[in-house]
Amino acid sequence: MSQASVTTPSQKTSGFRIGGVSSYALLVPGLVVSIIFMLLPLAIMTVVSFYTTAPSSTGFLPIFTIQNYIDFFTAPNTPSLLLNTFSLALVASIICFCFGFPLAYFLTFRIKSPSFKNYVITLLIVPFLIDSSIRTVAWIAILGKGGIVNYALLATGIIHTPIAALLFSRNTLYVIWLQTYIIFMEFPIYLAMNRIDPDLIWAAKVLRAPPHRVLYDIVFKLSLPGIICGFVFVFVSTLGDYVTPGLWAGGIQTMGLSIAMYSDNFLWPYASVVSTMLLIISVAVLFICFKLVDIKKLVYE
Amino acid sequence: MKLQDIGIRTYVGLFILFVYLPIILMIVLSTNNSGAISFPYQGFTTKWYNAVPTGYEYGSYISAYYDWAFWQAFQNTVYVAFMAAIMTTIIVTCVAMALRHRILGRNALFYIILLGFLVPGVALGLGNNILFKIMNWQFTWWIAAMLDTVYAVPFGLILMMARFDPDLVLYERAASVLRASPMNVFRRVTLPLIRWEVVSAAIFGFVLAWGELIRTSFVASGTGVIATYINTQLAINPITPKWYAVGAIITGISIIALVIMGWVLSRGQKK
Repeated sequence: MSQASVTTPSQKTSGFRIGGVSSYALLVPGLVVSIIFMLLPLAIMTVVSFYTTAPSSTGFLPIFTIQNYIDFFTAPNTPSLLLNTFSLALVASIICFCFGFPLAYFLTFRIKSPSFKNYVITLLIVPFLIDSSIRTVAWIAILGKGGIVNYALLATGIIHTPIAALLFSRNTLYVIWLQTYIIFMEFPIYLAMNRIDPDLIWAAKVLRAPPHRVLYDIVFKLSLPGIICGFVFVFVSTLGDYVTPGLWAGGIQTMGLSIAMYSDNFLWPYASVVSTMLLIISVAVLFICFKLVDIKKLVYE
Repeated sequence: MKLQDIGIRTYVGLFILFVYLPIILMIVLSTNNSGAISFPYQGFTTKWYNAVPTGYEYGSYISAYYDWAFWQAFQNTVYVAFMAAIMTTIIVTCVAMALRHRILGRNALFYIILLGFLVPGVALGLGNNILFKIMNWQFTWWIAAMLDTVYAVPFGLILMMARFDPDLVLYERAASVLRASPMNVFRRVTLPLIRWEVVSAAIFGFVLAWGELIRTSFVASGTGVIATYINTQLAINPITPKWYAVGAIITGISIIALVIMGWVLSRGQKK
């Protein structure tokens, strides 16, 4: 039998049939679910942000108005709201990066067996999956007045009264977010580092590059797509987290929190306004990120 | 190099300890014999897990085993998580299969799906809430499962596609060149090669739906899912070690599911 010429996947024609079903048809379930439960709600939410609040059955009337937006932008606490949310998310992302990068480096280059790698990855996913509420309550046991940190400090005599400020401050938020979202930062960096050709590192060492040059020029720069990706993931996730600041920020107002507050009071148009602002910020950040980095490279060729 | 090695191993070990510290403390303190949720530790007891209620307790003082509201929420959560897992598996498998080839709109679709977890949860939850209020549809648990599916599909997709055997397409073409029908190609060639990834996508969908609070809080009804139940209870009740007991149970299940998934993934890698 003559050898059939095998074309590589990149020369493949489009619309290959899988299981007798065209590729286009396979995309239908995913597309339908995405449209109904994601794009449609977001569109409606944006539209509702332009409606007036009124004591009707749904809490608003379909009368177009931009009064909601004017109220939002002229309210006295709006600048601090935006600034707080933005800065909290930014600092949290930077902190996650500082802690996550060595972790990803260790996972890629210092562990040899793939099954152990899998176990470490799942080990790191677990804290992300504890409920927000339980996780934040558990932090009382660590940072609270009777918590383990204060207990240890009191027992060794470094301080004489428990520090109350460990718990209700910005730093608490950073600590909690670090524990929660580290996997979001670490996993993309790990995926990007995995794709670095080990021959490059070997070549650099053969050419007698000092270790910090190897680390910076090769590892850091080549895993930059993963770093930016992880940074954006953590940033967007902390933008929308309202449970943690609600319990532990000690009064710092964030956008997610005001959305939740408005929703609890059934003020849908106001909630939609803040939510649309949040959405615009997130999409803008994501857009910049995807222009800088080709995330598809992390996943398919 | 030796010193660097020791340094980074210490760092990783300490970090994992830090990340697990709340869980460990939670489990330890759930056996605490005092009504307070912090140290000092006053003796081991399992009363927060299974003490028989005398009829006077409420909220935070009923032990975990006898709190019917908690088990109702637990049942809801299992229901939602299973549905989310099934939907996630179906969608992730279909989309991963389709995205391998250069079809029209491939990039656009990838971004749309990726938006599912990149959009802030509050926005999606709020949007869905308003949508269903306008349409006057009832809040069933299917909706919560769908929200969790939208959230889990990007994870599952990346997980699956990052582990695809690059020769998978070649095997499929070989099979169809040897005149296997497309259905047989899928059933006997593709599916066995990706079965571990499919299973791990299902488990991941389950675990993500298990712990999701923000998105489900907007579409929950009745007793709610575990996450929303705990959230609302903590807002109105004093905090006692009972919640640690509850948290320990929930975390235990997540950990078991994840360990299974880790095992499944490592099976998938031994080719």
